[in-house]
Amino acid sequence: MIDTVREIETPEGVSLRLRAAGALPRAQAWMVDLFLRLAVLFVAMIPLSLFGKGGSGLAMLLMFALLWAYSVLCEVWLDGQTLGKRALGLRVVNADGTPVTWLPSVVRNLLRVVDALPGVYGVGLASTLIDPHARRLGDIVAGTMVIHAQDLPAGQQVPTLAALPLPLVLAADEQAALMAFAERAGQLTVQRQEELANLLTPLTGQRDTAAIRQLVAHANWLLGRA
Amino acid sequence: MKQERFVALHGREWDSLQSWLNALDRQPKRTLRQEQTLDFASSYRRLCHHLALARGRGYSHEVTERLQRIVQQGHRVLYRPPAPRWHRVAGFLVAGFPRLVRAQWRCMAVAAALFYLPALFVLVLLQLRPELAHTLFSSTQLAQFEKMYDPANAHIGRSSGTDLQMFGYYVMNNVSIAFRTFASGLFFGVGAIYVLGANGVLIGGVAGHLTAIGYGGPFWRFVVGHSAFELSALVIAGGAGLQLGLALLAPGRQRRGPALVAAGWVGAQLALGAFAMLLVAAFIEAYWSSIAALPDALKFGSGALLWVLVLGWLGRGGRAGTHGA
Repeated sequence: MIDTVREIETPEGVSLRLRAAGALPRAQAWMVDLFLRLAVLFVAMIPLSLFGKGGSGLAMLLMFALLWAYSVLCEVWLDGQTLGKRALGLRVVNADGTPVTWLPSVVRNLLRVVDALPGVYGVGLASTLIDPHARRLGDIVAGTMVIHAQDLPAGQQVPTLAALPLPLVLAADEQAALMAFAERAGQLTVQRQEELANLLTPLTGQRDTAAIRQLVAHANWLLGRA
Repeated sequence: MKQERFVALHGREWDSLQSWLNALDRQPKRTLRQEQTLDFASSYRRLCHHLALARGRGYSHEVTERLQRIVQQGHRVLYRPPAPRWHRVAGFLVAGFPRLVRAQWRCMAVAAALFYLPALFVLVLLQLRPELAHTLFSSTQLAQFEKMYDPANAHIGRSSGTDLQMFGYYVMNNVSIAFRTFASGLFFGVGAIYVLGANGVLIGGVAGHLTAIGYGGPFWRFVVGHSAFELSALVIAGGAGLQLGLALLAPGRQRRGPALVAAGWVGAQLALGAFAMLLVAAFIEAYWSSIAALPDALKFGSGALLWVLVLGWLGRGGRAGTHGA
């Protein structure tokens, strides 16, 4: 399956599902962080300018903190989320799915220098497009990845219909395929929906629109709706 | 067991764990004081067991997804990394960091050679052929250097600015250079080699030019104090970059991925140590080096003492028997 989900087996023997975040939401989070930091710098400059040359030294220290320390401190203290990442619902995690720790966070934020080359994150963009888990070079070296923090509630996008019990027991992956169809059908053209639904005529005994409705009804039953 | 019965049997426990985890997200301190906290690890493991059962028995999507979500949330809490212990910072600076530097002594030696050899070469060259300074620097740069180290200045090493301003400037500038040196080592070490060599030529050039035109006194008096920390930190950052590039070029018996992660782990610690050294260097540079009125013996004596301390710290710090750790 072409998927950005990375499955990790935990010590309890069940699998964690980490949904890798692509370049676009991460770029947006970076922009949010950038504007926040610029705003902090701008606001702090007003009182600091009263101190004359010493104030400009303090401003330089603040710039240093915002440039190098901000991301590391935020990621470590706020469970792997800078404020921008929190706004976009992203999270930096270690390879085992736990929130990022000090050294990996330092590595990924120092190597930001490399990812930011050339121009605006050229290397980083190429790396996120090539890597199966959308990691930039800093993430690869740090052994971290950026994931979507919020899990999509299961079946939220499935249209509500009167539930219809399945005539036979489906295996887990078959159930997942049926759910995926019910969730994503709305994004497909009607013709494509019918084409897919008609594959299951042996199960539903229906064709075209009726088949789609029946599959969605089955999905409602799988979701435990009344 | 039928799914309905399974859910009826355990549903309440799942709900209570879920609500505890949700409360933990909102009010961590208060929730941790609840009695349920003691029960968390075992009830989380039971829930993982239930998830495995539900998957194995082919229960519906609803149940497995519900359990999966709680497991994701619980995993993050149970395997939360321990809070950093601040006393370990001191231990790292005293013992761990020098040990790490010595463990990477090959890269450090190469980095030192890449920096000091060009610097010495240019320094000597400019004594023999002073006119070459004009090929290294533009005339405005030369004029600026000469103004900074003019023997007639009350403050040496700067044309204007207060101590605090220069401290901020040195931190921003020097630490950024060190961090970039380390990071650019990822390009097969080329970036680190370039930065080290270029800085060697630059520093050697300034020193050589000022010495050749007779401003050597103020210059050496200025740099001798902070040079121990600053130059060593630059070399260490460069060495950290080199070992990162080396992990990519010659990963040894590991695959490149794990080799890079290990090298990044080492490199980050070295970079943090270099950062601490540069903070000290910036402090000395801003508040001590710039004082022009001190006698030569004190300036050069303290500088030599700092060099002995830094090299002794890097060479002996954290050896068995001295710290026991």
